[in-house]
Amino acid sequence: MSATVTPVPTRRRGLVWLIDNERSLGYLLVAPVVILMLGLVAYPFCVAVGYALTDRTLADPGVFVGLDNFIDLFDNQIYLQTLRNTVIFTAGSVAMRLVFGVGLALLLNEHFRFRRLIRSAVLLPWIVPTVLGTMAWLWMFNPNFSVLNWMLVHAGLMKDGFNWLTNPDLALFCVTLVNAWRGTPFMAITVLAGLQAIPQDLYDASAIDGANKLQRFRFVTLPLVMPVLLTALVLSIIWTFSDFGIVYGLTKGGPMNATQVLATLSFQQGLAAGNIGEGAAISLTMLPVLLILIIWQLRRIRRSTVA
Amino acid sequence: MTANRSLTRRALIATAASAPLAAPAIAQNALKGTKLTILAGNWYVPACNTMLDELAAEVGKDTGMEIRIERFADAELATKTASIIGTGRGADLAVADEFTTFLYASKLNDVTDVADEAGKNYGGWQQAGKDACVVGGRWKSLCIGQAPAAWVYRTDQFKAAGIDKFPDTFADLLKGAKALHAKGTPIGMTLGHAGGDGRSTNYPVLWAFGGKEFDKDGKVTLNSPETLQAIEWYKEIYQYFVPGTTAWLDPDNNQAFLSGKCSATVNVNTIYLSTRTAAATDAAKKEMLGNMDHGLWPRGPAGRFANYNINVWLPFASSANPAGQKHFLRAWYSRAFLPKWTKTGQSYFIPTFAGFDKEDVWPEDPKLKIFRELNKINRLPGYSGPPTPAAAEAVAKFVMVDMFAKACTGQLTPKAAMDWASKEYDQIAKKRRA
Repeated sequence: MSATVTPVPTRRRGLVWLIDNERSLGYLLVAPVVILMLGLVAYPFCVAVGYALTDRTLADPGVFVGLDNFIDLFDNQIYLQTLRNTVIFTAGSVAMRLVFGVGLALLLNEHFRFRRLIRSAVLLPWIVPTVLGTMAWLWMFNPNFSVLNWMLVHAGLMKDGFNWLTNPDLALFCVTLVNAWRGTPFMAITVLAGLQAIPQDLYDASAIDGANKLQRFRFVTLPLVMPVLLTALVLSIIWTFSDFGIVYGLTKGGPMNATQVLATLSFQQGLAAGNIGEGAAISLTMLPVLLILIIWQLRRIRRSTVA
Repeated sequence: MTANRSLTRRALIATAASAPLAAPAIAQNALKGTKLTILAGNWYVPACNTMLDELAAEVGKDTGMEIRIERFADAELATKTASIIGTGRGADLAVADEFTTFLYASKLNDVTDVADEAGKNYGGWQQAGKDACVVGGRWKSLCIGQAPAAWVYRTDQFKAAGIDKFPDTFADLLKGAKALHAKGTPIGMTLGHAGGDGRSTNYPVLWAFGGKEFDKDGKVTLNSPETLQAIEWYKEIYQYFVPGTTAWLDPDNNQAFLSGKCSATVNVNTIYLSTRTAAATDAAKKEMLGNMDHGLWPRGPAGRFANYNINVWLPFASSANPAGQKHFLRAWYSRAFLPKWTKTGQSYFIPTFAGFDKEDVWPEDPKLKIFRELNKINRLPGYSGPPTPAAAEAVAKFVMVDMFAKACTGQLTPKAAMDWASKEYDQIAKKRRA
C-alpha cells in the first residue's frame, strides 16, 4: 500500500512556517499595533518636529530655521506668561482632583442607600462632552448673568458678586476649577477601584491591633491604593497639561492672556495666525514634561509587572 | 422679507444672460456632473443663510453641478479652512475672514476676471474690498461684504444723563460716559478675547488718535505719542464702564445691552435686529426698541475711523472644479442675487462696491440708515500699511485688545502697555519678514 503525499504549495508553506515559528508569530501578532502606532503617533510626531524646525506657514512650506522658533519663544512675554499659567493650571487642577477625588472615593466606598446610582451620577462631569460642561460653567461665570453672583447677592453675602472671568487671577482659578471638576470623577472612580481591591482582613487585623480610622487610612489604605493613585495622578497631569477645550470655551485665553495655556496658544499661533512652525514649536515645549512623566510611568508599570 | 429674497431660476438665468457677469457659455455644459463643496458659517441673519442655500440649489439645477454646502460654527470654520489649505483636500470654496487671503494667498485661485466683471457691474470696488482680497495685484479672494459696527445706544438713558445725541468727539464720549455712569447706566466696550468685537471696538480708538500699528511701508510704528494718547483716553473712560468688559467675548456685549445692564456698546446691527424681532411679542423689548438708536464712531484728533469684519469667498487652488468655483461666484455677484441678499441682511453685511450707494439695497428702517455711512470709513488692521500676515497675526494674538486692557485694569501703566505691545509687534514683524 503506498501513501500519497499531496505537496503543500510554497506560499502556504511559508505561512505555516510563520505561524509555527514562535518568534515570527510574535512579530506577526504585534505588527498591527506597531503599524497603528507608527501611523497615528510616530508619523504625526515626526511631522510636528519637522514643522517646528521651519518657518512654515499653512500656505508656504518655509525653510529650515533650526531652533529659532524655540529661541524666539523664550524671548516672548506671552509665551512665558503662558508657560507659567500652564504650570499653575496643571498643578492646581491636579491638586484639587487629588483631594476631591480621594475624598469622593472614600465616601463612595462606604455602604449607603442608592450607592450604585450615586456612583454612576458622580461620573457625569467626566462623561458630559467638554464643550457642554464648559458652556454650563460659562453661564455660571458670565460677566452679565452669573448665577453664582445672583446667589451670593440674593443671599446677602455680597453686594455685586465676583468678577469671575474679569479678574486675571480669578479667571485662572475658574478655568482650573472647571478642569478639576471635569477630572475629579476619573480620579475618584480609579481610586475607588483600588480601595475595593483591599482585603477586609487587613482592616479587621489593624482594628484588633488598636488602630483608629486615621491610622487605618495611613498604614493600610494609602500604601495599598498608592499604585493606582499614582497612575491616575500621572494621567491627570498629562491630560491637564495638554488641555484645550475648557480654556478655549471659557475665556479664549483672556483676559490679557491670564488664562492662556500652551495648547490654546499653540492653536492661536498655528491655526488662527497660520504660523504652523511656531505653533508646532509651542506644542512641542510640552514634550519634556510629558516625556518624563510617561517614561517614569512606563518604568513603574514594568517594575510592577516583573514583581 | 420673504418677498425680497425670493430668487427664481428664471430671474437668475435671465440676469446671468444679460449682465456683464454672465457665465461663459462653456460652463453650462462643462459643469454637468461636476461637484462643488462650499464651506460656510452661520450668518446671524438667518435669511441670508437661506438665500445662499437657495442660490446653490438654483445654480445646481441650472448647470447640473452637484453643489453641497457644509456649515460650521465660526471657530470651527476657520479650523476647517486651515486644514484644507494644509492638506489640499476638502472643499472648493469657503466663506472666510479677510485675513485668510493674505495668509493663504499662494493656495488660492486667481479670480481677477470675476472681480473685474463684478466691479464693472456695480460701479467699482471700494478700497476696503480691494484691501481684503488683492495680493500682488491679483484678486485671490472676492469680498462678500463688510459688517459695519456702529455704536448702539439707549436714547432714553442718554437723555436722562443730559445727552441729546450720540457724542461726536472722543472728548464728548468720555464726558457722556461719566454722566451715564453717575446715573447708573454705564456704557461698555469689549476688552476681552472676542474675535469680532475685540477688533471692531479697539482699532478705531487707536486710529482716531493718530496711532498706527504700521506705516505705509509696513514698518512698526505703534510706539508713538498718539498711541499713548489713545491708551490714556481708554484708561480714563474704562472707569465708567459696566464691570466685566475685559472678559467680554463676542456675545457678551449683546447680552449686557439687551438685559439693560449697559446703555451703549459697539456692535453690528444684530442687537437692534434681535430687539426688533422680539418686540413683536415682548412689551419690554418693544419699549426698548423705541429707545434705541445707532451712532457713528466719534471723531478723534486724526479723524473718524472704524474697523469691521469682512467676509470673503476663498477659492481654494486645490479645487478640482475651478470652473465651477467661478460659475458660482458669478451667480453670487449677479444682479438677480446680490442686491436682494444685501437688502435681506438689512445692512448686516454690505458689499464693498462704490455703486451700491445708488442701489435699492438699504433698509427702510430709519434707525439702520447710519450703516450706509459707516460702510465708507472702514480700515483694515495694519492701517496705514497694507494688510499683511503680520497684521493678521497681531489680530489673532489680541495684541491691540490686550494693550488697552492692560492699561485700563492697571496691570501696566499706559506707557508700559504700549511698550509691551510694541515689542510684540516688533517680534511678529521680524518673524514675518525673515
